[in-house]
This record gives sequence, C-alpha cells and structure tokens, in this order.
Amino acid sequence: MTVEATSEASQTAVPAAPEHPATAAASRPAIPEPPAASPPRAVFTGNEKAYWRLMVRGAALQTVTLGLYRFWLMTDVRRFLWCNTAIDDDSFEYRGTALELLAGFLLAILLLLPFYAAYFLVTLSLGIMDAGATIIGFCLLAALGQAASYRARRYRLTRTIFRGLRLHQDGAAWAYAVRAILWWTAILLTLGLAYPFAQTSLERYKLRHTFYGDLQGTFEGSGASLFARGVGLWLLVMVPAFAGIAVSAKSIDWAALVVFAPKTPAEIAPWLESASPDYGNAVVYLMLAIGWSVLAACMLYPLFQKITLRWWLNGLRFGALTATSDLKAGPVYRAYFRFLMYGLAFTLIAGGFSALLAAVAGTALDKIDNATVSEVATAVLMLVGYVIAALAFSTIYQVTIKLALWRLGVTSVTLNGSAILDTVKASGQRSSSFGEGLADALNVGGI
Amino acid sequence: MQPRSGKAIYFDGMTSARQTITVEILDDALALRTTYGKAIGLWPAGRLDQLSAPDGLLRVGLHGSDGLERIEIRDPVFAAAVDDMAETVDRTGLRERKLRHRVVLLSIGTLFLLAIMILFAVPAIARRLTPYVPFAIERRMGDAVDVQFRQMSGADDATLCGQRPAQAKGLAVFDALVARLGAAAHLAVPLSPAVVQRSVVNAVALPGGRIYVFQGLIDQAQSPDELAGVIAHELGHVAHRDGVRAMLENGGVSFLFGMLLGDFVGGSAVMIATRTVLHASYSRAAEAAADRFSVDLMNGLGADAGALGRILSRIGDAHPNEGPKTLSDHPQTAQRLAAIARQAAAPPYRPLMSASDWQAVKHICTQE
Repeated sequence: MTVEATSEASQTAVPAAPEHPATAAASRPAIPEPPAASPPRAVFTGNEKAYWRLMVRGAALQTVTLGLYRFWLMTDVRRFLWCNTAIDDDSFEYRGTALELLAGFLLAILLLLPFYAAYFLVTLSLGIMDAGATIIGFCLLAALGQAASYRARRYRLTRTIFRGLRLHQDGAAWAYAVRAILWWTAILLTLGLAYPFAQTSLERYKLRHTFYGDLQGTFEGSGASLFARGVGLWLLVMVPAFAGIAVSAKSIDWAALVVFAPKTPAEIAPWLESASPDYGNAVVYLMLAIGWSVLAACMLYPLFQKITLRWWLNGLRFGALTATSDLKAGPVYRAYFRFLMYGLAFTLIAGGFSALLAAVAGTALDKIDNATVSEVATAVLMLVGYVIAALAFSTIYQVTIKLALWRLGVTSVTLNGSAILDTVKASGQRSSSFGEGLADALNVGGI
Repeated sequence: MQPRSGKAIYFDGMTSARQTITVEILDDALALRTTYGKAIGLWPAGRLDQLSAPDGLLRVGLHGSDGLERIEIRDPVFAAAVDDMAETVDRTGLRERKLRHRVVLLSIGTLFLLAIMILFAVPAIARRLTPYVPFAIERRMGDAVDVQFRQMSGADDATLCGQRPAQAKGLAVFDALVARLGAAAHLAVPLSPAVVQRSVVNAVALPGGRIYVFQGLIDQAQSPDELAGVIAHELGHVAHRDGVRAMLENGGVSFLFGMLLGDFVGGSAVMIATRTVLHASYSRAAEAAADRFSVDLMNGLGADAGALGRILSRIGDAHPNEGPKTLSDHPQTAQRLAAIARQAAAPPYRPLMSASDWQAVKHICTQE
C-alpha cells in the first residue's frame, strides 16, 4: 500500500482526515497484548547516496542513448523504491523488467502510428492546421493519456509482490478516463474548488479496483475533509488576485468603453489611461495582487503536497487494514528547500562553466568563416546545454523532492489491523506492459 | 567452512503466511524443510532466481515457475554460501552490470543506425517516393504549408502587391510573365504566383505550384531577364517537385526523432518542413538542377539566361550573410555562377517585355 502511496504522491496531495474514532479505539486495547506490542509502522530503508548514484548514472546514460536508457532507469528506480519499502520487516518487490517496458512502448508506437497518420491526413485534407484541429487532437490525446495511465497503474501493481503475493487491478481504463476528463473539466470550471471531490472520486475508483491477493482495497478519504483542509490555501492564493481584478475592473468606465469601441487591442491602453483617472493606480494594485498570489502559491505548495499526501494515506484501506499518517509539514518544506539549494548550486556551477565554454567556443567558431557551419555548431551546443540542464534539474528534483516525499509518506504511516496480512490468498495475473508504453509515448508516465 | 544449512523465511506464493524454515545446501539443489523436518521442496541450483531485495537480504525464487514462492535469507554468512553454490545467484550484481553494458552499447548502436537512416535512407526513400505523390495531394500539402508560410513570412492579404488600381498593370504584366514561363516549361500543376510587399530579397516555390516573389527581389532586379531567370529557377523546383520531397524527408526525420524521444508532436511536421523550405534550402544538387532548368527555359525563349547569374552574384555581394538562402547563400555559389555562364546562350536576345511594362512591374508594390 505504501508503494502506491508515493507513486501517486505527486498528483495527489491531500488533507488528513481526522482519525476515525473507531480506529483509534480499536488500536488502544491492542497495545497491552504481548504479540502486537505496538502497531506496525511502514519503514523505508533506502539510502539517499545510492539513489543519487542511480539517478546521476541514469541521466548520463540517457544522454548518450538519447533517452533509450529510460526504460532501464525506470526499472532500477522502481526496484529501489519498492524493495526499500517495508511493512513490519517484509519489503515489497518490483518484478517488472526494462524489456517489458521497451516492448510495451514499441507496441504503443504501432498503435499510435495509424492514429497520428489519420490525424495528419484528416487535418491536411480539411485544410485546417489551426486551433480547431489542435483542440480536438488535444482532447483525444488527454483521454487516451488518462486511460493509458490507468493501464500503466495496472502494470505496476501486477509487478508488485508483497509476501509472495501480487497486487492487481481490475476496472475499465476507459471508464476511468471518462471520469477523469469530466472531473478535470469541473476542476477547471470551478478554478480548483472541485479538486478535493475529484480526487476522492478518482481515488475511490482506483482503490476499489485494487487488490492485494484476494484482499480488496477501498478509499475512505472524504472530499469534504480535504476541502476543509485546503480551502484556506485556496483563499490565500485566489482572493488577492480576484480583488485585484475586481478593483481594476471597477476603475474602468465600461459604458464609455463600449461607446468608444476600440478596433485593435493596441488602442485600448492609451484610451483607458486618459478616460479613467484611477486606472494607473488600479494596474499597480493588480500587479501587486497577482504577484502576491504567485508568491503565496509557491510558498504554500509544499503545504498543499503535505495535506493531500496525508489525506490520501489516511484514506487507504485493505479490508480491516487501515493506515494512519502523521506526516508533518516541516520535513516537506525542508525537501523543497533542499531542491532550491541544489538547483541554485547547479545553476551557479553550470553558469560559470558555460560562460567559459562560450568564450572558448566563440573564438574557435569565429575562425570558421562558413556561416552555415558556425550556425549549426552553435545550435548543437545550445541543444546539448539544454538537454544537460533539463536532465540535471530533473535528477535533483527526483532525489530531493520525489524520494523525500516517498520516504516521508512511507515512514509517516502506522498500520492497524495488520493481522489480516497473514491470511491473504493469491489472486490476479500479470498484465501487459502496453499501458506503460502508451503512457510513455504520450508523455503521461508516472513514477 | 561455510554453513551447509540455515534459517530462512518462506512464502509459498499461494497465501501471505510467513513461515520460518530450514534450508539445506545440497550439491546441486536447495532442500527446503519446515522446522519440524517436513520436506517443502527441492529447488535445483540451475533454476534459482535472485530477486530484487533491500541490502542485507537475499531473496531467491524458482525460475521458470508461474508461482511466486520465495525464500528470504538474512544471515549474511549463509547467504554467501547459497550464492557460492548457485551459478544463477548474482549477489554482487556482476552479471547484471555486464548485461547493462550490453544494453548501453546496443542503444548507441541503434542511435548510429538511426543517424544513418536520417542522413541517407530517409532522403533516398523521399526521392523515390516523390514521383508517385499525386498532384491532388501535392496541392493539399501546398495549402497546409501555405498557411504556415504566410504566418512566418508576414505575407497576408494586406501585404500582397497588385491590389490597388495603380498596381494593376504591374500585376497583369507579372502574371503574364509567369504564365509564359510556365507554358514554356510544360508544368503539370497550375501556377499561383504572388508578389509580397516585404524587403526580403527572395523568391520561394511551395509544393502545389504556389510561387511567392518578394518586393526586395523586384527592387534588386535590373532587367526583366533577371526577374524571369529567378522565377524560372523557382519553376525548376516546382517541376522537380523539390517541395514535396523536402516535406517527405522532414516528415520522415521528425517521425524517427519523435519515436525515439517518446515525444510525438502530430502536426508539427508541416511546420518543420515549411521552415526548411524557408531557411535551410534544398540540397546542392537540387539547386544546380533548378539553375539548369532556368537556363534551358530562358534559352528556349530567346531570353538572356545569364541574367540569373548576375542577379545572384549581386545579391550575394550585397548580403553576404543574411537573406535568401534558397537563392544564393550556398557554399558553392561561385560554381553555380560559372555553370550558368557556361550554359547560357549568346546574344542577341529577344526582349521579354516592353520598357513601360517593366516599369509597371518595378512599381507593382509602390503605394502612391
């Protein structure tokens, strides 16, 4: 279960449901009993140095193989995370292989090929390479992406072994995709207020179709409790922005604007300044308000992550097995702070290094008087620099934030009713890696 | 002396129950027994499979069985003894590392293959396929490229020359010139020429017979034959269907790259192709062939075919680094000029248009 927890952590940060009174009461009498001295905690034994090594080597090999190594890196990462996550001394095991991922990816390409060809031909023959075709294509790909991510989850679960039994998932990928698309539309329309209810609904669907052996999962988190925990953050971020927009909108004489009827956007600004005396002040206020909102969003994001992750962990159930998380905000903030520090250090070092390189390469390129050659050389250097920077930041992010959130999430969990883990029976078969391949080809891959 | 037996945790793969058992190392197998001595199984050494596990834990399963039964050994000394006994148990990860090296080498080999595909195979395939693309499809491709081209080059209805009454005569003469060249060239596609009010010294042929001439080029032209020579060069690209070939080539390359990076971007192939037509130019051979086409066409009309060389060298002198790559900024410009001069017929020439018609063309973009 902990395995699951972190794989979703990025999308799913959620508020802690108050501890079920019933659960708390049930756990108390268990304490004095000798065999279950204390309820088992989930533990994480992964060593960060080993993870750095894994990720840095993986990033380097991805550069030389133009990304083909990612299947092997992904497999290594999962093996590391799974086998270092344990409940009560029993660690998880990841059974997937890189070749499976590669095969799934190639299969997905075979499926997408006609799809893309058809899309290309249709847009070509309709003569619309414009917004309409782009939006339709985007919606289709988004739905396909959601379905793929559900199938990818199924692949990961059926490759997860705990105490000699595998997890598995049923349910229909398309049913999930439709739900997800509808919920995300609702989230956009409500400016994020529907997020807790969307997460609850989607997590209920996922967990309801998740099994450890013959033990079915459920999700008990409630949207209302996540909403109650998160609405404060939402208000802190959104209210100033709304206020700024409202004030600046009020300073405009709308009736006069309609009469003036500007033809191009460029005409509007000078007219506004002359017609509305308060407009200048309103714009300043609007900038300040939006600046505040952006700053607040950045500052509160780790807290949001903590709230959602804890809420999610608290909602997990497998039969009588319940999870209780006491995740704190402090360590989560520390993780983000470390990311900033490492990122800053990398930027300084890489910046100095590339300035040096630019000076050296600049003089070398000046000697070549063929414009095309030096243009191409410059473009290649820029591309290489971009790839290195992108990989470096992603590596730093994976280690300082993703790994930290996994570790914090896992170690925050106390399990109750774990006696049920002794009596589970095997069920479920391995699923194909096609979903993972599709998710990868569509760039919606998870951990 | 290594221990011959030790304790292990056993999972039977059917239930989640955890059993402590005794494992005995035989010559070519592991014997699994309950602590009471009852036999659980005999695992042949050749079928032992080491499974991923945290540090300090040896987890072994049975290879080739559908079940998930496994044993976990925590005692490092006993774990080392099992490792020594079984070839397939790879506690130090040496085998795994070797496998990984092979993967990296294979990947690099694949990349090498892909580079060869992009450099040689894709252009060759595009060249072979081009003659078989129906003209109806070529027109569609031209329409799609045209939308992009107009955005990128700033050509829109407001910047098209010849719309005003005073420019009408210029446009009529220009159209007549293109029509005359086109008729002489026996092209399979109908031409749609246009003059764009932009100072770029360039002319471009898109797939499907669309030809754009920029005002900058008309300003640079000192005689009707110079302008006609450039247009005839572009007609050469149309006749050889170089635009279609470039689109096929770029489509193939961007598809290969997209496949590799796991990052398809559907309709962008058109945009990339447009950019190629605009900036990166065709191959040297395609340019030389278009020059040849222009010279033959101009010779056939009794016009001054060498005028193309003169305007190319003038543009090259005036704009050594910027400007019309499709026309002039080619490493082999000197060679091209020499070839044109060699093939051009000697005077006398028949004039392509009257002096007053030429003045009208020169003022095709003039706003009164």
